[in-house]
Amino acid sequence: MLAGQERAEVEVLAVAEELAQPQRPGWLLLVGRFIWRKPLGAFGLAVVLLMAAAAAGAPWLCRYDAEETFRVANPSYVPGSAEPEEKLDSRSGPSWEHWFGTDQFGRDNYSRVVWGARRSLGVGLGALLFAIIFGTTIGIVSAYFRGWFDMLVQRVMDSIQAFPAMLILLLLVSLTERNLITLTMGLGFVVITAAQRIVRSAVLSAREDPHVEAARAIGCSPIRLMVVHILPNVAAPIIVIFSIGIASVILAEAALGFLGLAPIEPPSWGMMLDEGRRYMTSQPSTMLAGGAAITLTVMGFNLAGDALRDILDPRIRLS
Amino acid sequence: MQQYIVRRALLNVLVIFMVITMVFLGLRLTPGDFAVRQAGAQIPQHSTEEAKEIVRHDLGLDKPMPKQYWEFVSGLFQGDLGDSFVSKEPVMLELKDRLAPSIELGILQIAVAIMVAVPIGIISAIRQDTWLDYILRMFAIFWLAVPSFFVGVLLLYSLARWAHWSPPITNYKGFFDDPLLNMQAMFLPALAGGLAIGAIIMRFLRSQMLEVLRQDYVRTAWSKGLRERAVVLRHALKNALIPVLTVISLLLATVVSGNVVLETLFQVPGIGFYVVNAIQQYDYPVVQGVVLVMAAGLVFVNLLVDMTYAWLDPRIRYG
Repeated sequence: MLAGQERAEVEVLAVAEELAQPQRPGWLLLVGRFIWRKPLGAFGLAVVLLMAAAAAGAPWLCRYDAEETFRVANPSYVPGSAEPEEKLDSRSGPSWEHWFGTDQFGRDNYSRVVWGARRSLGVGLGALLFAIIFGTTIGIVSAYFRGWFDMLVQRVMDSIQAFPAMLILLLLVSLTERNLITLTMGLGFVVITAAQRIVRSAVLSAREDPHVEAARAIGCSPIRLMVVHILPNVAAPIIVIFSIGIASVILAEAALGFLGLAPIEPPSWGMMLDEGRRYMTSQPSTMLAGGAAITLTVMGFNLAGDALRDILDPRIRLS
Repeated sequence: MQQYIVRRALLNVLVIFMVITMVFLGLRLTPGDFAVRQAGAQIPQHSTEEAKEIVRHDLGLDKPMPKQYWEFVSGLFQGDLGDSFVSKEPVMLELKDRLAPSIELGILQIAVAIMVAVPIGIISAIRQDTWLDYILRMFAIFWLAVPSFFVGVLLLYSLARWAHWSPPITNYKGFFDDPLLNMQAMFLPALAGGLAIGAIIMRFLRSQMLEVLRQDYVRTAWSKGLRERAVVLRHALKNALIPVLTVISLLLATVVSGNVVLETLFQVPGIGFYVVNAIQQYDYPVVQGVVLVMAAGLVFVNLLVDMTYAWLDPRIRYG
């Protein structure tokens, strides 16, 4: 009797304990829910992951070296004639050997697209890291101290933002040696103004939070307040800036490549589009490969960024 | 109001002055100057210091920096932007000819954008969450991601491939000289750029319309028994358009940026095409002149847009 009651009690307690456990849905369920609720965002994320894989695994995923030139037997060769036996396998269409065809120098377009992912995403990543480090610092410091300092910083930012990004980038490429590092920093510089504005508005509300006030009351230094107590509050806007800003940076880098104003190595999608368009009526494969790579990547980051913004912070609008 | 205009105008002049000084210094303090190129190009093997000095002297680059700056600034007040290093023509004269195509292209693009975006934005909003809305939104997402220069290349390709037509690239004629020939050269870049901007405007107009359509005065209009056309166009659209105007003014910078690429692609002899060439040839006075014109145009158009708000929305007052 007593034993039965005890057992019942134990069972009841076990159920209660199970109920008290917070329901943690499995990650598979979370992914499924994300795909169901944000199908476009999921598609974007898939594209981003694909491109990231191409960028990270370029040496293994490319089928040939990006600069290797291919040769084929020359059809107009007859023994004894002046014609060479082989000619450059240039401007060919898609085939099993060259999935996306070859360009005018007989280089494999597929391999160049794969290596191009490393360049595009690398520049995008670097530029956004640069922009976020400086933008966050400026935004936090500007909002923390407010007053005339904030006023001054914001007016300077306004005047930078008044200029077309392309103009700043054109000046940069005309002023400096053309290499990827300065290009990356220049692209990052253009994003700083938008990044700091968003961070600043997030900090303006965060600095009035009770936990920040409490930290100030117990005598934290301004630097500790900014780094330990305010910075974690702006994590969501920073992630959003990153995902949306990277699309515009990749687009701008492609535009510079298209104009022939970017360094020529490693392979660039913008440059493939520009080179390919010169012989597109006879063979559009290079032009299409470069253009489609840019479009797909920009669309992927846009869609993934929009979905992330909706989830993390629906109030932010970057453009 | 008048006071506000004067203050803004003065501030704008100051900003432009700061920019032009930065450009002046930047161009002269960085490596890769015109003399090196010029001396090297004329006598490839003997681009000696001596040869460079001669070129520098001809162009006045050997004068002390403050003197160069003084001559530059005093010239500016007389409407003189210096002579191009390459063509030896006054920059002011060359710019005047190149301004018209750029302004025309910008206006055409905004016109295309509005013609596409306003009807689509309205339909998408009043038929929210129907299949029509989804299709139209997908359309916007797509045009947002495709770079305008890729759209341009694709347009050129399809017209050449299937219609056997390509736009007249040489002998560009102004609109007032030969409207037909001018439009043949202009409609492709106008379409390529206009669709990209149109997608942004459409998305924004849709969300504005959705907000306005839920307001009390719109419900009043419905309950008065007005027809849908009157409610949507006369009551809702008017108020939804005010914020859209802001977006259009913000997009002007995007238009200028995008047109640097589109003008180069379609060989439209505007300032964008001009500046890309000038950068490649290290033609300082031209770069300075174009930056000045773009910056000035942009800040004053922004001022003009701010003025029109007060006219459109009597509640806005500047103090």
